[in-house]
Amino acid sequence: MGVEMDKLVVLPCNGLDKEAGALARELSLHLTRQGAKLVCPVLYQRSPARYKKDLAWGELLVIDGCKTGCASKLARERGLKIARRLNVAEMLDKMGIKGQKDPVPETGHLSALLSLLPDMLLLRKEEEEEERFEEILFSESVEMKEFMVGKFLFKVPVAGYYFNENDCWARVEGNLARLGVSDYVQQSAADMVFFDPPEIGAEIDQFGEAGSLESTKTALDIISPFSGKVKAVNHRLVENPELVNLDPYLQGWAVELELADFSSERELLMDCNEYYSYLREKVEREFREKYG
Amino acid sequence: MGVPRSKIPWCPEIDYDKCDFCMECDKFCPHRVFERRENEERKLVVAHPENCVVFCRACAKTCAPDALSFPDKKEITALIKRLREEGKSGGGDG
Repeated sequence: MGVEMDKLVVLPCNGLDKEAGALARELSLHLTRQGAKLVCPVLYQRSPARYKKDLAWGELLVIDGCKTGCASKLARERGLKIARRLNVAEMLDKMGIKGQKDPVPETGHLSALLSLLPDMLLLRKEEEEEERFEEILFSESVEMKEFMVGKFLFKVPVAGYYFNENDCWARVEGNLARLGVSDYVQQSAADMVFFDPPEIGAEIDQFGEAGSLESTKTALDIISPFSGKVKAVNHRLVENPELVNLDPYLQGWAVELELADFSSERELLMDCNEYYSYLREKVEREFREKYG
Repeated sequence: MGVPRSKIPWCPEIDYDKCDFCMECDKFCPHRVFERRENEERKLVVAHPENCVVFCRACAKTCAPDALSFPDKKEITALIKRLREEGKSGGGDG
């Protein structure tokens, strides 16, 4: 099939949740029949030593089922070097096929994927891996809890975020955190028109400034909930600052930090529930003061 | 922060040599930190420092003559951490 199979070590999704996962499993079994070695994600988690030899033997191909990317995350947690990566949900999207919830592959879906496989394996290059990984790491959708004050609706994530009293958030994954401003900020500041990012590599203190935003109404600093080194900034936000208004907790992220002291700094922050209560009280108070 | 707001000395300070009483900061701040005193020489004062959001310096951005200053963030962070520790070890938190 035009790709060297004899040096691939495949770490797939375990394939029991959705069809995309089941197809990832089928794809890896197909590759092993062509000479690739297989790493069972469950056994690898339990006894990583069992796969030490195999992993040293060839290049690692990670096959994720859906966009949650469990296999990628597992590889990353264990410090494995990912040489190539496939994502079945993305491959299905490409072919206009909708993956099913039922984890039993539909007839024809596997053969469609197999027809795409050789090209996909050739396409994925290592240079993109780091950036792609972080997109996967932070890509999951976030469940929101809402409240209304007057005619205004405010959203706060249910879990996974830390907030300071300056209404800035941090979403932490491992030793990385993405920072942004809350839904409350985007509503009170109105349309964002400018994002001035910090420099990559800059060291930021806890509660120090991590860039600034300007809206049609005001200018505000992004007050970093954590200290750390700026690893990335959201270039899309420089081009489209309105992403803060459209999607403040995901696409509207501003800065990515490599954390310096997560465990002691988190004590000075609020978790999602605490911020929800804090914000609700604050907005209700502001509303009372304004409208009596 | 786990520390009573009254123990955190964070609020703006007005440099009256620079302030021209344009009131932009007061118009901007939604927390009623400032208060206007029409009949006094100092027509604007920091009347409610405890209302100021710790680490917020947004009003300073509205100040054309650059008359507003704030304490050092690092020192305040260190103080908050210290107060928290004291609170935990039974020192009472007021």
